[in-house]
Amino acid sequence: MSAPEVHALGTTPITSHAFNGDRSQVAVSLNSNDVTIYSRQGKEWNVTDTLSEHDKLITSIDWAPNSNRIVTSSQDRNAYVWQETQDPQTGKMVWKPTLVLLRVNRAATFVRWSPNEDKFAVATGARAIAICSYDEENNWWVSRHLKKPIRSTVLSIDWHPNNVLLAAGSADMKARVFSAYIKDVDSRPPPSVWGERLPFNTVCGEYSSPSGGWVHAVGFSPTGDVLAFASHDSTVSIVYPSGPVIYTIKLNSLPYVTLTWTAEDSLVAAGHDCQPIVFSGSAGGWQLVGTLDDTSTSKSNGGTRGFGVAGSQVGRLNSAAFHTFRQADSRGSSSPTSAAGSGATDTELLTVHQNTITSIRPFSGSAEKVDQVSTTGVDGRLAIWDVNNVAELTGKMGALRLH
Amino acid sequence: MSNTLRPYLSAVRSTLTAALTLENFSSQVVERHNKPEVEVGGSKEVLLNPLTISRNENERVLIESSVNSIRLSIKIKQADEIERILCHKFARFMMQRAESFIVLRRKPVPGYDISFLITNGHTETMLKHKIVDFIIHFMEEVDKEISEMKLSLNARARVVAESYLTTIILETGSFFMYPTSIIN
Amino acid sequence: MDSFRKIDIDAFDEDVLLETELYDADPRDPAQVLDDAKAKAAAVRSSLSKGDIPGALTAVLDGAPYGPNVDEAKTLALQTLVTILNSTKSSDVSNIVKSLSQDQQDTLMKYIYKGMAMPGWGDVSGSVLLGWHEKLTEAAGIGCIVRTMTDRRIV
Repeated sequence: MSAPEVHALGTTPITSHAFNGDRSQVAVSLNSNDVTIYSRQGKEWNVTDTLSEHDKLITSIDWAPNSNRIVTSSQDRNAYVWQETQDPQTGKMVWKPTLVLLRVNRAATFVRWSPNEDKFAVATGARAIAICSYDEENNWWVSRHLKKPIRSTVLSIDWHPNNVLLAAGSADMKARVFSAYIKDVDSRPPPSVWGERLPFNTVCGEYSSPSGGWVHAVGFSPTGDVLAFASHDSTVSIVYPSGPVIYTIKLNSLPYVTLTWTAEDSLVAAGHDCQPIVFSGSAGGWQLVGTLDDTSTSKSNGGTRGFGVAGSQVGRLNSAAFHTFRQADSRGSSSPTSAAGSGATDTELLTVHQNTITSIRPFSGSAEKVDQVSTTGVDGRLAIWDVNNVAELTGKMGALRLH
Repeated sequence: MSNTLRPYLSAVRSTLTAALTLENFSSQVVERHNKPEVEVGGSKEVLLNPLTISRNENERVLIESSVNSIRLSIKIKQADEIERILCHKFARFMMQRAESFIVLRRKPVPGYDISFLITNGHTETMLKHKIVDFIIHFMEEVDKEISEMKLSLNARARVVAESYLTTIILETGSFFMYPTSIIN
Repeated sequence: MDSFRKIDIDAFDEDVLLETELYDADPRDPAQVLDDAKAKAAAVRSSLSKGDIPGALTAVLDGAPYGPNVDEAKTLALQTLVTILNSTKSSDVSNIVKSLSQDQQDTLMKYIYKGMAMPGWGDVSGSVLLGWHEKLTEAAGIGCIVRTMTDRRIV
């Protein structure tokens, strides 16, 4: 169980994925206007359904585990809620869409069900977040907008466990915590570290990283008392609102675009580096712990790693390697001259994912202690990782040579 | 001077790897549109600081990045008039065939000789490290190509001049004195 | 009558973010920033004469001037830094770069790119800057370059 389970669902990028409650099915968007639902049959994932209703790229999918409803958002300014009902003619279970009136005039970028599954929040490019709740009287979903003080596209959102507070990261370099309290749907929440008596659209906190950068991902910890966000300046920031104390971890790698908490003191982030990285800490400080992708164990593409790493595995006095680096120095040619080397070495990265990881979600375990996380990326792969299998982060990135 | 080629290319490589962190971003200005933000330049917050990597005044690379696209402009070394003409013709040749190049821009950014536009669509379908390898390889090759073209141009010019002038020298009579002054 | 066709409607959009709103402005007064820069230049000259490169770098990189209105201070800071970079032996560069803090490494990277953007200016030497860039990337990683791109506090 320690090696990650990898499934190549296709060659097109996976923009978003969501598992159902018992993890027997997954809904993915393969960079298209349709949602494809895969069901697990033994060790394989096979296509069982395609939901087509959107006109443009689907940007985000979320599956409510208890009420078994799927919500999808797309660049065509719409969101649909899908419910599984029995088709009167064939008797099979089909997914029926219900349009949600978002009343925005730009693309919807991200969507998440609230913990109680009675509302969901849609982040949009119209500088607003639409909080949608079900209106029983008229039998449809109505939306209210969180507008001020958002100044640019909202890139990601996360709900607080109390079903009222919402964290949002946007392209104006700020991560904010809003109150999305809707009178008829929510009961008055107990006071928390973020404040008390919070009417709709109150900003409980606004945070950013000192070197700027769009906030790609936000996440509340399992108790909701800590907020983490990852921004484009290759930093991960963890906010304790009672100070407020912000720990900004500056990283040497490329930025992260998605993160999820695995326990109150640890979280996993992933992004352009193509591997999930674990961070851990407490109110006293946070640091990077390691990676879930152990690149030091040799993968099946055995002998092709020779020239990718700076000569440390190959014998130093090996004349071919010596010749390569002497050439690299005098002529500036950075690829190995041997025909076999330049073909096979460069195309595969040493990490499991070959391109950016776009989405990471908890897979198994409870909210306070997640055991496994699932990731999908631009390379079309779905991987399920064991959170405890943390390896040392080495400088080896295979084809991503930095010298 | 060639000992700065390797650090120059490695600086371009690392800056390009840092810039190629693109994602799909729908336009904030026009609904249902998806445009390369670095070309539109409308929303200042989605653009990043442009960075220049230069080896000397004549060789520079400008990388302008944004959330869903990057524009890379190269100023190729042109030491004399012949190289300037050759470079211009070579760049024009490639830019007219920009469709097959995929990442090439049809017009260079003002002040540079050739420009590339790489969007999130390209990084989704192609491997990022291979795109970076391609650009670096291109930069190395362009200099070599232009030097080769210049050498072959000079060689051809010499052959043409020799064959033309030998026929004139062979002509008898009054033309005898005239050609010698042309040769020198 | 039809001048309305030439209006750039997006320029009147109130919600558009301006460049200056994207970062926190320098809390110091411009005149004070200039004085600081001159004082640092003097401090650096004395450190260089003693051969203390890390001390000189720390002095110039901490509290670097950024933002609008402080152009003279910025030019002076750049000149001071270029002098330090040129007078360091290439074998010492890697160790010096490793001894800097993360914030100082980020500021140094910003100055290196600023220097490369002005190739003929003052003492700027392409090969020296490229050498420092390579060593700094090895020590601070690509994250440092990403921060140079995203950080709107332009030195």
